[in-house]
Amino acid sequence: MTDRTIENDEFKEIHSLMGMLQNLDVGLVVLDREYNIQLWNNFMESHSGMNPSEVRDQNLFSIFPEINKEWFVHKAECVFQLNTRAFTTWEQRPYLFKFKNYRPITGSAEFMYQNTTIIPMDASTGQVERIGIIVYDVTDVAVNKSELKAINEKFKRLSRTDKLSGLYNRGYWEECLGNEFKRAKRTETPSSLVVFDIDHFKQVNDVYGHAAGDIAIKFVSDALIQNIRETDIAGRYGGEEFAAILIDTKAEEAAVFAERMRQFIEDSSIRYYQEEFKFTISIGIAQLTQDTDSAHQWFELADSALYQAKEKGRNQVQIADPEK
Amino acid sequence: MNKVNVSISEDQRDCYQEIANIAMGQAAALLAKLLDVKVILPIPVVNLIEVNELRMALSGIEASDKVSGVCQGFIGNRISGEALLIFNDASLGDISQLLKYPDELDTSVELELLMDVANILIGACLRGIGSQLDVTFSQGHPVVLGQHVNLPELISTNHYRWSKTLAIEINYKIEGYNINCDLLLLFAEDAINVLNNKVNYLLED
Repeated sequence: MTDRTIENDEFKEIHSLMGMLQNLDVGLVVLDREYNIQLWNNFMESHSGMNPSEVRDQNLFSIFPEINKEWFVHKAECVFQLNTRAFTTWEQRPYLFKFKNYRPITGSAEFMYQNTTIIPMDASTGQVERIGIIVYDVTDVAVNKSELKAINEKFKRLSRTDKLSGLYNRGYWEECLGNEFKRAKRTETPSSLVVFDIDHFKQVNDVYGHAAGDIAIKFVSDALIQNIRETDIAGRYGGEEFAAILIDTKAEEAAVFAERMRQFIEDSSIRYYQEEFKFTISIGIAQLTQDTDSAHQWFELADSALYQAKEKGRNQVQIADPEK
Repeated sequence: MNKVNVSISEDQRDCYQEIANIAMGQAAALLAKLLDVKVILPIPVVNLIEVNELRMALSGIEASDKVSGVCQGFIGNRISGEALLIFNDASLGDISQLLKYPDELDTSVELELLMDVANILIGACLRGIGSQLDVTFSQGHPVVLGQHVNLPELISTNHYRWSKTLAIEINYKIEGYNINCDLLLLFAEDAINVLNNKVNYLLED
């Protein structure tokens, strides 16, 4: 074999190797010490719309101003200085290069999520002269993971919510009550529990029908949501029974809120088809005291105050007597 | 399940410890260079453990501590395994100071910290071990195991295909800072015999 054919064979091999690299469906970029682009494979060309001759010797950050320079340099300098690989994931930043989703029609993500590996190159002298960036398209993984997270959160929310009222359901609300009981006890801050009940709810159902009853429940729930603060915790406790935990609130202050609710419901009337009807609510309040031993006991206090309000003729607010 | 009989002798254990010592020192030197600090080097702990005992291998971290962790697979010359880097959350404030990240720590900055340190420590340790055993490891992409979770949540031990693993635990501390991180190199059961053969060569010398 002549030298010439050996050269030819080597040339062929290098050529086919380059062809493989060109067609590899991951992005390959080589940067010099000044972050000027030295190599740009087919993947990069196709997705960026810029061919290798356009980007060659151009500064990465001037061509792609969307790259967060500070962040990327921080990662790349580790590679340059320490001669070690660096990996970035889409969880840190969704992408390095802002490319369109590979599936522009059926893909739900707007852009391509990317993982990147930064590798040291040409370090024969111990000094890294260039770095290579390998860009992987991980859009499907990222979208699946994000969707799964969103669905889990939705399930979590649904499992906590009462469908009709939109308030927390009894199970979750009781969990919150337990937590607030412990928190308020520990921090020794005042906290009040307010329970409501629609007066003569059975009559509303009997006279106007269950659908009208549902409207009444929704009406009270909406009023409750509008009147409480963001930190307060409201739930539907039973059929026509509601409860709210007012954080950092004394019984007297809770009574002002309760009275406002009572007055608002008394003043309102509900229209259901051709008919219009009015109803009232009774309210019991209990502030957490040092003597209260459990969340259950706290609720009992508020509930017995509600019972007294009913006894005294309904449509009124009653604060639990802490001496009892 | 493939039943492979694996064990390591005392000599082999010493040899692994020595290999880890050198690799860990190289990684620590890089970390020290990057952060401009003094890294306190512990003695690496080498153990052949059941995979479901993984938690016990993390002796540097309490089960009740809140931790964050990343995990990276590696393979080369029929030796496969995973590297786990686990941070005690109490360390994060001090690390961000060292890496000169903004004062305000949120989950995304913490993730950057975790990845930065993982890149350095895992990469350097694997290279150090690889060069001593004459193996070049390919590294998979790191995966975030979890942030601000309990240790048992981070490494839920389900569905393991291997019953035994060779675990090298390196507990890094940094002088003058409250930084505590555990690097755990876990080698798969079927890699242990390959590794044993490699260290036997070294022991013969």
